[in-house]
Amino acid sequence: MSKPNDLVQGTLDLLLLKILALEPLHGWAISLRLKSISGDVLQVSEGSLYPALHKLEQEGWITAEWKQTENNRRAKFYSLTRLGKRQLESEAANWQRLSSAISQVIQLSET
Amino acid sequence: MRMEHWRFTARLRLRSILRGRRVEQELNEELQFHLEHKIEEGIANGLSTKEARYAAMRAMDGLEQRKQEMRDMRRIHWLTDFLDDARFAIRSLRRTSGLTAFVVITLALGIGMTSGTFSMVDALIFRPYPVPRPSGVVTLVSTTHDSSFDDFSYREYLDIRGKTKSYDGVIANAAMEAVGFSAEPAATPRIKGGMMVSGNYFHVLGVEPRLGRSFREDEDRVPGRNAVVVLGPDFWKHEFASDPGVIGKTIRLNGSDFTVIGVAPETFPGMLIFGHPDFYMPLSMARVFSTNRQKNFFEDRDDRELTVRARLQPGATLQQGQNELAVLAKTFEREYPKFNRGRSAAVHTQFEMRTRGDDGNWKFGVIFAILALAVLLVACTNVAGLLLSRARARRREIAVRLAIGAGRFRLIRLLLTESLILASLGGLAGIAIGYGVVLWFQSFQNVIFMTDLPFSIPFRMDTRVLLASLALSALSALLCGLAPALQSTRVDLVNGLKSADVDVPGRKRLWGRNVLVVAQVSASLMLLTASFLMVRGFQHDLREGTGFAKDHLLMVSFDPRLVQYSAAQTQQFYKLLAERVRVAPGVASESLTQNIPLGQDDFDGIAFVPENFQMPRDRENFNSTMDTVDEGYFETMGIPILRGRGFLASDTADAPRVAVVNEQFAKHYWPGAAAVGKHIRLESSAGTPVEIVGITETIKYQSGFERPMDFVYMPLAQHPIARMTLMLRSSGDPLQLVQPVKDVVRTLDPNLPMLHTMAYEDYYQNQAVNGPRIAMKLVGSMGVVGLLLAIAGLYGLVAYNVSRRTREIGIRIALGALSSDVLRLVMGKGLVLVGIGTVIGLAMGFGVEHLMNSMLFNAGGVDFVAYVIVVPSLFLVTLLAAYVPARRASRIAPTQALRYE
Repeated sequence: MSKPNDLVQGTLDLLLLKILALEPLHGWAISLRLKSISGDVLQVSEGSLYPALHKLEQEGWITAEWKQTENNRRAKFYSLTRLGKRQLESEAANWQRLSSAISQVIQLSET
Repeated sequence: MRMEHWRFTARLRLRSILRGRRVEQELNEELQFHLEHKIEEGIANGLSTKEARYAAMRAMDGLEQRKQEMRDMRRIHWLTDFLDDARFAIRSLRRTSGLTAFVVITLALGIGMTSGTFSMVDALIFRPYPVPRPSGVVTLVSTTHDSSFDDFSYREYLDIRGKTKSYDGVIANAAMEAVGFSAEPAATPRIKGGMMVSGNYFHVLGVEPRLGRSFREDEDRVPGRNAVVVLGPDFWKHEFASDPGVIGKTIRLNGSDFTVIGVAPETFPGMLIFGHPDFYMPLSMARVFSTNRQKNFFEDRDDRELTVRARLQPGATLQQGQNELAVLAKTFEREYPKFNRGRSAAVHTQFEMRTRGDDGNWKFGVIFAILALAVLLVACTNVAGLLLSRARARRREIAVRLAIGAGRFRLIRLLLTESLILASLGGLAGIAIGYGVVLWFQSFQNVIFMTDLPFSIPFRMDTRVLLASLALSALSALLCGLAPALQSTRVDLVNGLKSADVDVPGRKRLWGRNVLVVAQVSASLMLLTASFLMVRGFQHDLREGTGFAKDHLLMVSFDPRLVQYSAAQTQQFYKLLAERVRVAPGVASESLTQNIPLGQDDFDGIAFVPENFQMPRDRENFNSTMDTVDEGYFETMGIPILRGRGFLASDTADAPRVAVVNEQFAKHYWPGAAAVGKHIRLESSAGTPVEIVGITETIKYQSGFERPMDFVYMPLAQHPIARMTLMLRSSGDPLQLVQPVKDVVRTLDPNLPMLHTMAYEDYYQNQAVNGPRIAMKLVGSMGVVGLLLAIAGLYGLVAYNVSRRTREIGIRIALGALSSDVLRLVMGKGLVLVGIGTVIGLAMGFGVEHLMNSMLFNAGGVDFVAYVIVVPSLFLVTLLAAYVPARRASRIAPTQALRYE
């Protein structure tokens, strides 16, 4: 699997879970949402998006459903499962711990 | 959490597997949806349609790679890869269908032979008792100087049962014996197989009756009290048409009434390998069934007729049981020195009992299995050689695959998948062949068991044998696939891509094939030697003859106990019978014998002390096999009397006791002295004296393969026996005497059944000749199959080696080598390999000969004739296999050879 080099490993999963926790979306909409909320800071290649989604689906964290979009085209909508919700919580907590630990290290004053 | 997770994902994996096409389609559609949006976006930003499409594709970073990544996410690629491999393998195997067919047939022969013989070994050695927790059931044996597997007497059994603590129950059974059965009191009895068992027999074994009840614990205690019988499942089905109303019914066994109390379940055909008792009676009814009139079953401690088994307590070890029994045996020896001096006891597992040294059947099974494995080995090396040649011919293909990034492991997997498919096909065909072998075995049912007792051939193609065959197939896939796979994926890429077929210089490259040639030659030589030796061994023993005349003999057995004769009535009957048939038309001579030679039943034993013989300190007496015969026996059977006389009418019950012994016996106890006129004392030095009045020639008594054994004859008048066989020598066809005998018996007692009425020669054929003949056929066909496979394989390997050197040979010829030089070059190599293989094979052949001699045949030493025939012929054959391709190579035109690739 090609790793999204520009992202800390594993954070793409967290982002995707979080986005889908808000509302069910299809792949295109997810890629737009990723771009809009993170701006240009978090570059996610569109190529990495779908394998990541598939992985989440195979893990049972998200589930997919074919539905009509607003302009009447069939698309695959992903939504969070119960398992996914639990996964999101634990990953978010992990991230919090990690990032606060790292920021503490960074804020150490150099003497 | 894990469980829940699994529940989700299993469904998804299953969907990926089963609905693969649908999933694939959805994947495409989803990506398409994304691309379309992306293109629209591009157009909206002012790009042309074409530019927008390019941009969209670029953003994906390689659409196909992404798709593959997504497929990998499904976590079933091990399966899809395997299916792809399998599909690819099948395609490439079909392209070379001739080779594939050859490989499959080769493997099928190897696996079929092995699974067929395994069904034999399984039935004879490994198949557990048909009871719950069979491994806990052990067998207790009494041991002496002469026998490591002696039985126990009833008294001894009761002591063991009462005084041991390591067991969850101790059971006993007598041998299965012929019992006269009639469902109605008036009907003429027919012979069936009945077995006396202890009251706790079924209970301790854990066998629940299918109908009614089994015996109660105390039903074996009071002699004559419990006339009850439990039917065997097959007997119930055939004799009573599975009628549940049989419980409570009265049947007649040996003339006494018995009440049917139960039916044993279908799952319990009995504890014997070959025999399946028709019914079971409690030990308390021994008087109705006991054959030995001289002893009292319930009282005599030396009337040893019982097989004793026990169930070890959970947690108790065999050693504990052994120790406890040894202590008890010591007590017996102290308390009853008369019966138990020098006697000890041992405990054996089922496996130990099945592989006991004094039984021959399992040894045949093991030797067959070894030979079948050798056939399989030859088959596998054959296939390995073929696959190796095939894989090398595919070097370029493999090099290309490696060059474009296939992992070596992945390629090995692909090649192994190929051999797995080959082995599966071969295994399936092999199981079919194995099934044929088993059916072939079973077709000898009537040829081998010429008896009224319920014996059957126990070889079956059951789950155990099937599983073993499948395991063998997988193993052979690995055996013949791994080496070629490893070697052919170790490719030097540069050379591999440059040319399809040039060997990398070095010694290592030929190593594999040379080993194959050597293995093949040596395995097939061993196989051939073994089968040749076996055939010659059998023939030798058959040719040696039996020592008596088998032709023009009619045999008819009688058991007057079936119609409740007393001992006196019985002897009166035999006296009258002999007198009257003697004068019947066509009868040249008549005689009576307790056992016929080379018959199904074992001879009785006799314990004695020879006169003027220094007994070893630790033993009370010696043992010998014996037979009870009347005065016409030696003449009728054509057994020569060497010294002294045979029995006479004057050797009556009141006359001094006499016996006739064989030469072996006389030489054994009075070497260099005249045995006639000497005495033996029965049982002990204080026993009844018996004078030896004659010496006969030593004949074959129990089997055609036995070593010369001691033998004693007793006259019927002085040693009365109930069950006797009438032997009549006829002047014409022995079967023409059947009617006259019937007429005589009718005048004596119309109710007395005539048993086993047949010509002795037919019986002898079935009993002593057919079995070995079948074995010879089996071994012979294994030898032939092995040799054919080896020839084919050898030819293939040498031919391949030569064809690979075609260019080299072309150059040599172009430089002026003569075709004889080329021939020498190519043959020389083959000869060295064949020579090495012959030496190894010879060593293995000697090993097998030693094994067979020690296990089966009485012949010692080395059978040089076998080697003189086998070795040169195999050498010639292999030489020919090397010569044909070598000759072809020497005739290649240099121009053609140099262009050859």
